[in-house]
Amino acid sequence: MSEFAAYTIIGLSVGAIFALAALGIVLIYRVTGVLNFAHGAMGMFSTFVAWQVFYGYPHPGMPSWAVTAEAILVGLAFAVVLGLLLELLVFRWVRNRPQIVKAVITIGVLLALQSTASLIWKNNQYHLPIYLAPQDWTRTVAGVPIGFNSILIMVVALGLAFGLGALLRWTAFGRAMRAVSDNPTSAALWGVRVDYVGAVSWMLGSVVAAVAGILITPFINFDTTSLTLLIVDSLAAALIGGLVSLPLTVLGGFVLGLLETYPQIWIQSLGLPRLIALFVILAVLIVRSPRGLPGVAR
Amino acid sequence: MMPGHIVRFAVALVAFAILARLPVGLDGAFQFDAALALIWAFGILSIVLLTGYAGQVSLCQATFAGVGAYGAGMVVASLHGGYLLGIVVGVLFAMALGVLVGLPALRLHGITLAIVTLGIALVFDKYVFQDHLFDWFTGGTAGWQVANASILGIKVDYSKHLLAAYDILLALFCITAVLMVNLHQSGAGRRFRAIRDSEVAASTMGVNLTRYKLLAFAMSAGIAGLGGSFYPLIAGSVSPQPFWVFTSLQLAAIGVLMGVRYVPAAALGGLFMAVVPDVLTRYGHGAFMGRVYDISNDWFQIALGLLLIAQLILLPDGVWGDLRNHAARIRSALPGAARKQVRPA
Repeated sequence: MSEFAAYTIIGLSVGAIFALAALGIVLIYRVTGVLNFAHGAMGMFSTFVAWQVFYGYPHPGMPSWAVTAEAILVGLAFAVVLGLLLELLVFRWVRNRPQIVKAVITIGVLLALQSTASLIWKNNQYHLPIYLAPQDWTRTVAGVPIGFNSILIMVVALGLAFGLGALLRWTAFGRAMRAVSDNPTSAALWGVRVDYVGAVSWMLGSVVAAVAGILITPFINFDTTSLTLLIVDSLAAALIGGLVSLPLTVLGGFVLGLLETYPQIWIQSLGLPRLIALFVILAVLIVRSPRGLPGVAR
Repeated sequence: MMPGHIVRFAVALVAFAILARLPVGLDGAFQFDAALALIWAFGILSIVLLTGYAGQVSLCQATFAGVGAYGAGMVVASLHGGYLLGIVVGVLFAMALGVLVGLPALRLHGITLAIVTLGIALVFDKYVFQDHLFDWFTGGTAGWQVANASILGIKVDYSKHLLAAYDILLALFCITAVLMVNLHQSGAGRRFRAIRDSEVAASTMGVNLTRYKLLAFAMSAGIAGLGGSFYPLIAGSVSPQPFWVFTSLQLAAIGVLMGVRYVPAAALGGLFMAVVPDVLTRYGHGAFMGRVYDISNDWFQIALGLLLIAQLILLPDGVWGDLRNHAARIRSALPGAARKQVRPA
């Protein structure tokens, strides 16, 4: 029973990160119409920038929390720049192209980012994860150890989800984003600066991806490819939300995290979680709606 | 035979005659690259059929090639069958997987199909090709070792007779390429193109969507698997690494980059994919004007990603398509040139 509970904690933590990554995908997809296959790669690159600050340089005389904060801030700042550059240099120029062309461009982004990271930080090499809190900060509740890291991840994921939801729902800028997502042309006619909204969406999405990447490092075999390939799990979570709904996406992330974690009680297999993610994708796409997703334009 | 058929046949024959003896003087590694280029050319050819003709997106073509490779390896190394049988089994396995992948494609389009096929590529990469549950198919972590293979009495093993394997592969590629161009004009090819342009319109005109979508997936997977089934032959063994998910992404990227609707683009792309990384790792390090540089394999993928982005923004029809358009414009500008419709083939 306590084993079950322990795996539940792991599943919820991993699921929270899937939810976060999926939120970024949904945000970018809704506002700019780009299904971003490079989302994992973008998060991966920003995470490695943070990792480089954390482990790459000596930090004489700084307390450990300050080093962590510095690494995270540098990583997130990099994510903002990366998102902005991608929008300015690439996606601004293809706004009126078919959806699938934009998706294939993100595959080009994925390949370029992944191999650049592999060039700098070497692929298939063990990297120490970034711990936000010391690992021995655990509290045992009813015989089940709950790590402070796990709690932090869930709090951050839920907080960001509510934050994004509130931004979209209650601020003028969120209204502009929703207007652009409904119809860029009429939004532009009403005075919404579509370029600006698109750029901010890319920056926000990139930051969310970076947060997800930094948080997940203690849970997976942390290297350049594994973070890049998280895209499949994140897409599965995003599909549960229909690529539209933020609450359903968060729920989908948690459900997927649990579904992928529970079988590990009995079967130790690195590849099995990917199979479960694929089944979730197939189930959502084929069973839920007979002609694909309602929100997905063809 | 129509004149077009004769011209295509002659072009394929000349191409075979030139290319067959081209790698003779090269060292073993470059001969391996030449054969590998053909295997990836088959992979891109399968994308030309599936995406260029039938309009179905797939990000798991290297998986089909890998299934072909493992199928052939299993028959030869584990069941002690002849290599010809290995190729047949490899192709059949790939086609069966193609039909399986085609089933969800009956209900999906565009980006949703891309997501599903990416998931399939990842599952095969991390699970089927690596998990102990499938050791009977993959030969465990050691993979299958293939030595002293022969096809119809011709010795084709990788260590001494690599060029014989290359020639057989090249002949098969030339035949498949001609068949592909013919397919484009045939009834099935027209149905594929109707599905690509509009599924609703195609089914209104009486095209059996189920049959032709599954056919496109089966044929495409078979072509990729045919190339892949030669991998154990030219490399001597099979491992998951050449068929992992990034190879699938690279194949799709190169297919689009070179021109996803054109058969010759597949040959161009295969050459690009096999030779450029090897040349980079071989000659990409040294010193230039006092500065030491090291251009490794990763630079190939960086360049590929950036080229793909630039191509999709600037030349939507791909490298080969753009060359064709230029050639057609020059031809029509020449005095006395008859106006001729440019058709993709």
